[in-house]
Amino acid sequence: MLKERRLFCFLYAEAIVLLKEQFLLNVDIFLPIFVLSNHIFMKTNTRLILKVLYIVSWVIFVGLCVEAGGYLVNAFFAMANPGIVDRLWKDADLSDLFRFDNGHFCVMNLAIFVVSGMKAWLFYLIIKNLHGRKLDIAQPFRKEVRRFITWMSLLALLIGLFSFWGATYAEWLAGQGVKMPDEQHLRLSGADVWLFMSVILFVIAQLFKRGIEIQTENELTI
Amino acid sequence: MMAKRKMSLNELSEKVGLTLSNLSILKTGKAKAIRFSTLEAICKTLDCQPGDILEYKTS
Repeated sequence: MLKERRLFCFLYAEAIVLLKEQFLLNVDIFLPIFVLSNHIFMKTNTRLILKVLYIVSWVIFVGLCVEAGGYLVNAFFAMANPGIVDRLWKDADLSDLFRFDNGHFCVMNLAIFVVSGMKAWLFYLIIKNLHGRKLDIAQPFRKEVRRFITWMSLLALLIGLFSFWGATYAEWLAGQGVKMPDEQHLRLSGADVWLFMSVILFVIAQLFKRGIEIQTENELTI
Repeated sequence: MMAKRKMSLNELSEKVGLTLSNLSILKTGKAKAIRFSTLEAICKTLDCQPGDILEYKTS
């Protein structure tokens, strides 16, 4: 807790200095906010963190839904009205791919949609479990929590695999002479990170399985 | 043993300091383990030996 507080204070101080120097803002008014936030931080407990995570998860979920839907709608619009391909999605410009081959264009869009869709599904699961305090800190070792972690592990694995496949496919298309945006803009980067996360979550799920066994035995010990 | 001592489950739970549900788990044989302290408290209340209330059965 002390370490987190120190880190928070350091980051806050750095942000204040940056604002003052770069944007010439009079940030002395932030001092009371700093004091208050420091006080709040001292009282931060798990419930508050979970609440914040719940809100952040909602924001990310909505963003990912918009992204996934956007790519799908763009693909349909591109097929219906090829003239507007250049004006769709500024960063992930697939106009060159569209001119190269319609089939490859559809597959690429499908890959991006699947990855974004699964990321949205992952955050939906997080929201579902955080909502209504299903994650009971008093009794964390429950079958529902283990199932939730296992599902997250599976989704992370699928996201990693599809991202890897999508990135490899984009690389192959670039090798065919098609001007492709980079992995970052196609939302297919970080496959290795997703695979790593999948392994970690799987291990945690196994630990939870053992924890449930120990807890059940403990509960049935009179 | 409870019938011999003319004691109900409620009465036993109050004297031993166990909840009714725990006592019920014990009585129905669903318990995985019992602490020595609990066994001692039950034997003291019912004035009996552990062998009088525990029985081994092959599963």
